[in-house]
Amino acid sequence: MNQKREMVVLTDISLITAVVQRGKADELVKAAQEVGAQGASIHYSHGRGVRERLGILGLAVEAEKETIHIIVSSDQANRVFEIIYRVGDFDTPGMGFMWVTPVEKAATFIPDDILEKFAREDRRNPFDVRPNEI
Amino acid sequence: MPKEIRFGAFVREVNSRHRYLSYNHVTPKPIIDDNGESVPYHAPKFKLRTGVAFRLIQPYVQVRLVDQIRAVLPLALYLVLFQIIVLRSDVADAWIISGGLVAVILGLMFFMEGLRVGLMPFGEALGSSLPTRAKLPVVLTVAFLLGIGVTFAEPAIGALKAAGTIVSVKSAPYLYTLLNDWSEVLVLGVGIGVGAAAVVGTLRFLYDWSLKPLIYMTLIPTISLTLYISLNPELSKILGLAWDCGAVTTGPVTVPLVLSLGIGIAAAAGKGGDGMSGFGIVTLASLFPILTVMGLAIYVHSVTTPEEIIAAAHVSKAGVDILPWFDKTPWVEAITGLRAIVPLVLFLFLVMRFVLKEKLKQPGNIAYGISLSVIGMIIFNLGLTYGLSKLGAQSGSIVPAAFTTISGIDSSPLYNWLTGLMIAIAFAWILGFGATLAEPALNALGITVQSLTNGAFKKSTLMYAVSFGVGCGIAIGVAKIIFNIPIAWLLIPGYLSALVLTWFSNEEYVNVAWDSAGVTTGPVTVPLVLSMGLGFGNAVDAIEGFGILSMASIGPIISVLSVGIWVQWKVSRHHRKYDESHHIGKLAKQAITPLNQTKSS
Repeated sequence: MNQKREMVVLTDISLITAVVQRGKADELVKAAQEVGAQGASIHYSHGRGVRERLGILGLAVEAEKETIHIIVSSDQANRVFEIIYRVGDFDTPGMGFMWVTPVEKAATFIPDDILEKFAREDRRNPFDVRPNEI
Repeated sequence: MPKEIRFGAFVREVNSRHRYLSYNHVTPKPIIDDNGESVPYHAPKFKLRTGVAFRLIQPYVQVRLVDQIRAVLPLALYLVLFQIIVLRSDVADAWIISGGLVAVILGLMFFMEGLRVGLMPFGEALGSSLPTRAKLPVVLTVAFLLGIGVTFAEPAIGALKAAGTIVSVKSAPYLYTLLNDWSEVLVLGVGIGVGAAAVVGTLRFLYDWSLKPLIYMTLIPTISLTLYISLNPELSKILGLAWDCGAVTTGPVTVPLVLSLGIGIAAAAGKGGDGMSGFGIVTLASLFPILTVMGLAIYVHSVTTPEEIIAAAHVSKAGVDILPWFDKTPWVEAITGLRAIVPLVLFLFLVMRFVLKEKLKQPGNIAYGISLSVIGMIIFNLGLTYGLSKLGAQSGSIVPAAFTTISGIDSSPLYNWLTGLMIAIAFAWILGFGATLAEPALNALGITVQSLTNGAFKKSTLMYAVSFGVGCGIAIGVAKIIFNIPIAWLLIPGYLSALVLTWFSNEEYVNVAWDSAGVTTGPVTVPLVLSMGLGFGNAVDAIEGFGILSMASIGPIISVLSVGIWVQWKVSRHHRKYDESHHIGKLAKQAITPLNQTKSS
């Protein structure tokens, strides 16, 4: 019998990355969680570009930024994308920029009941070939 | 066996109408000149419609406005409601005071933003590059001059000058002359104290001196000088002022600028990684000015007599009927505002240009920040005169009506003597407790302390300890004015017990406790408490109403040190219990001795 250790790989994932002014991230993450996002990681960063093009109004924009990474299911992606746009006032210059990237796979702790309900065995990504199987 | 699952089972949902735009249409096409080389692209400035510009500015202003409203409004409301409900008297000049409070809010908003944009980058640049480019004596000179400059720029210093107009020349001539004729020298004296503190604090960072001996060495001469001055009946009236000056200086300009220089110097020397390094300067900056102001008072005592001062005051009052334009109301404030900021900026600029030989990175931003802080200072000074000082003086003069007869209030005393006295003291205690708990700087200190002590000293414990100390300090200060207790009788035992507690405390708690006193006195609390004390003093015919702030400084030192010792004891008891319950002491001995014996045999 095969006694290999088991691991669960998540698929159908999108990564939403949003860059906003420092201090705004918490509000946006909270809004994203309300539409189903599980969590987020926030990095401090420093931006250049749009702020300089605003002239004197650029002083109203904080140069220090927070970069939010949110992993969402591909079904959720649009909802989270939209809520961040709306809550973060992205239709105003200098307020932020975000993008969505497809993610090949991810892994983390999955509760047992969800596993039993949805997990299917070994429907692997065809490109993912492990060396010991060749 | 690897498994794959679908992450979600939601239906794809889209709420807004998406319009798509290719980014290729947005980015510029490369331009090739005649020689076949590409021309560098410069992005044009945005042209914004008014609506968009408004949307951009609105959140920026809102956040900063709300911050200041939070600092001013609860305190002002507390004073006004107390006056109306408990003391049953209306607020006189309500419109002027409201206008003044609005000016304080706007002024502080502009000033703090200007400080952040215009002055802080200077301070940070100085702190990070000065120590590497200049020799230690130059660095220390700059630190000293910076200490003087920031004192003049401190918004609460204006409150001292405003207080000078309330003091009566007959009952306290030296106090009057210090606050009126010598007011500039007084501020300079305070500045020299802060400068000296910056120098000693920087050396402390550099050579890792412990704060304890510094405190002993500063306090022993300060207390002896206090004792000496308290023996002279005329001079002793300035003691309250001298000790209050310490609390006034440590505000939103001094603390960050002096700290950033000190920390920069320590970092350049490879020291100061232990998180404790930011502490101490605030303590010294609130102790040294006490010494310099007392020295100044002794000097003034040696050159003039009370009779001369009273005579001179009468002459100046009788002689000047029409004030020159620069002494009239909007202009005085404007000139004070300019005089507060411009020298500091010039000094910082000259150091940047000629000592560091460095150009300003964003001159536009810095010019914007500095003009904002000057405008803010001017508006704040106006608001100080018409809002905070007036409101504080008014409440101070009406609160005694709770227990004693005050002319102008018909039904006073409103309550019987004991109840009224309790009400007045409770009023003072709640004022101190509430104002301190709301101070944003205290919250920041609490977070730092919690992480420094690995959670043994909780943030809320510190905040309540400090607020409790300030509340008791202000209550004792008010009692001092009511019963006319000489301030030396309160200060000397207070600081002596603080010294004893310091002796028994950990270095960390000593740092935190002594700094907490300086942190709590912000630009709103200081003028309010100062003018309240003076109004209170005038109403009960006390000689002078200073000293409340100095009691508010010693209060948290004692309370935080005591809590610190309690936490220390709790931690050590916990460790001892843990050791006992695991028999670590015995077991370890048993385990080690046979091992050693076997080895030796």
